[in-house]
Amino acid sequence: MGNEGFYQEFEVFSQRTDTSPLQYQFSLLAPNRELALVMAQENFMRREPVADIWIVKRSDIRKLAPEEKQSLQRLDNKDYRTTKGYGYLKKKWRHYEQEMLDEKEILSWGGMKKGD
Amino acid sequence: MSEALFFQEMTEEQKYEQFMKRINAGEKIEADDWMPEDYRMTLIKLISMHGISEIMGALPEKEWVPKAPSLKRKLGIMAKVQDEMGHGQLLLRVAEDLMKPLGKTREDIMQDLFSGKLKFHNVFHMEAPTWGDAGLIGWLVDGAAIITQTNMLNASYGPYARALKRICAEEVFHAQHGEAIIMALAEGTEEQKVMVQEAVNRWWEALLMFFGPGDASTTGTSKQDTTIKYRIRTKTNEDLRQDFFTKYIPRVLSLGLKLPDETMHFDQDQELWVYRQPDWNKFKDIIKNNGPKSQERLGLRRKAYETNKWVHEALNTAN
Ligand SMILES: [Fe+2]
Ligand SMILES: [Fe+2]
Repeated sequence: MGNEGFYQEFEVFSQRTDTSPLQYQFSLLAPNRELALVMAQENFMRREPVADIWIVKRSDIRKLAPEEKQSLQRLDNKDYRTTKGYGYLKKKWRHYEQEMLDEKEILSWGGMKKGD
Repeated sequence: MSEALFFQEMTEEQKYEQFMKRINAGEKIEADDWMPEDYRMTLIKLISMHGISEIMGALPEKEWVPKAPSLKRKLGIMAKVQDEMGHGQLLLRVAEDLMKPLGKTREDIMQDLFSGKLKFHNVFHMEAPTWGDAGLIGWLVDGAAIITQTNMLNASYGPYARALKRICAEEVFHAQHGEAIIMALAEGTEEQKVMVQEAVNRWWEALLMFFGPGDASTTGTSKQDTTIKYRIRTKTNEDLRQDFFTKYIPRVLSLGLKLPDETMHFDQDQELWVYRQPDWNKFKDIIKNNGPKSQERLGLRRKAYETNKWVHEALNTAN
């Protein structure tokens, strides 16, 4: 019958809640996408809450070859890209008797109306 | 891409050296990374055996699904059986990716199981005649499995380590599910107490064998050294057996159960449990599919494979 052509490899991703990032689960073998979805649920979501499931055919994924991964090594001086490089502002704002609007403060603003 | 070229220009020895450096630094090896041939072969053997044992291990327990004493117990053991099949699928995926360069697939794993080339764990060749056995499998067989599996949680092979992390989290439920059954029986009627004691007696030797022989002198071969050298595991078979004793013997005794080995004791000077060795010839025979239930369970697996073949065929044409 030639089983080689029967199973296809799928990679499974899922989201725990509406706001959580998509997370890689594992791979599985299934004859088609519909069954892959059913099996993804059976294999990986037996207990954990889940808000969404994605399955991707492995052959559709372009990933880095082992040699290419070496190009991922970061330069160590990236301060200019992060808030860390601007930490000195805190002291300066204090001089003007103002609090610095840092990440924690800014991300706490989301959609709050006055008087809520 | 200069590094890529560089890697291809490396000699086999240089690749090996780099590989050892990586695993000794705690880096994880992935499926498409270069790896020494014996690393690949050792992993294939270990993980396909582990995976198929999960699947064969569901069979003695599944016998108890229709006979569980209450609905709650039935749901519990059903969930456990389903988990074990899930563990099997997870592990077979890990083995299949390693076998891919050799041109082998799941079909080969199944055929190797049927032909006896691929072995499964000694404990799953044994009988589970009472509800006490069902509880004991969860408590002590899964307990023993937890000891060997947590020993490989930091394995150098990334996909296996990740699969084990998922598996061990569920094993905690299995062990407690088993404990719940055993405790209910141990606190029950005389008849129930006897049932647990008989299950302990029946499983004792198989539990000792579970961790494998202490060294190659008992059975001729042992992969322990290779798996330790390649940082797949850290402890030896005997280390694991001793860990199992230390964790479980006091618990077994606390429930009023007796060990079926009257010579067994903890030697304070050596800091080791002294015990009577199981019959390792029997062990060799059992894993050659000559255990009390080997043929029946293989037959069941084969029958499921053959009677479901039409599904493969039907779906194949639909594609
Ligand atoms: Fe398991
Ligand atoms: Fe288990």
